[in-house]
Amino acid sequence: MDYQPMNQPPSPPAALELDQRLTRALEAVPEVRIPADFAVRVASQVPARPVVSLTQTHYGDYAMFLGIVVTLAALFIFGLHTSDRRTFNLAETFLLTDFIGLTVWLSVRRHSLR
Amino acid sequence: MQTDLTFEQVVSDHQAMVFRTLLRLTGSREHLDDLAQEVFLRLYRALPSFRGESLLTTYLYRITVNVAQDEWKRRRRDDRTHISISDDTSGWEDRLQHPSRNAEQQIEEREFQQAVEEHLQRLSQIERAILVLYHQEERSYEQIAHALNLPIGTVRTHLHRGRKKLREALQTHQTEERRVAWTTNR
Repeated sequence: MDYQPMNQPPSPPAALELDQRLTRALEAVPEVRIPADFAVRVASQVPARPVVSLTQTHYGDYAMFLGIVVTLAALFIFGLHTSDRRTFNLAETFLLTDFIGLTVWLSVRRHSLR
Repeated sequence: MQTDLTFEQVVSDHQAMVFRTLLRLTGSREHLDDLAQEVFLRLYRALPSFRGESLLTTYLYRITVNVAQDEWKRRRRDDRTHISISDDTSGWEDRLQHPSRNAEQQIEEREFQQAVEEHLQRLSQIERAILVLYHQEERSYEQIAHALNLPIGTVRTHLHRGRKKLREALQTHQTEERRVAWTTNR
């Protein structure tokens, strides 16, 4: 590859010749001896890729169902036992949002999996 | 990269490039096989995260330079003696073709080549890597910058600085040789 020096004044002939010889020397490609079976040997040493299980699991769905049930139960418990209206509103809003969110997410997800 | 056969093909296609780059970067034929193997094993491990943002060759150059750097660090730790690139039965410079040159010129050229190799090994790791990628592997500034994760300006600066150092070292080497020759002839 031709080397373009960076903003330099023209070199005298001797320096130019040295520069050309240097470029030739750097461009010389070394001869290498590669074992004939190198590619096979390397390919045989690579670890086998872990087998990916294609059996579908539903742990996430079960957890979501459980979450909905627990949230619903918590809503009832709060409704029955809380006398402080302010605390009740805050907790109720949080649980209700949680409940609606989980229900919508799960129904959309189940629909998309069909 | 789905099967071993495909990976074997990748190794087969790029092994020459990896071997010659490692040879020039480490300056030794010792452990060349093991180092090349390490390059391809690292490539294999990195393949799942390879998203095709760059060419496989650029990615491979990056790994090769990293493996060579690890080898330099290991050698520095071991404090090993320097082994020349020509420490095999015959130097690779011997096999370079010099068409239509007489024997004296060939010897001179071989000695010059050997001097370049010696001084190349005295440069910093990054300068050597850039010089090898630019001149031997004919990579562009952009490709080198991408492979080494450096700005293009830095690549240009290192290339210029590396060549300057080499040129100065060779000039000193030549002056010294002429002085020795003159003294012995007297």
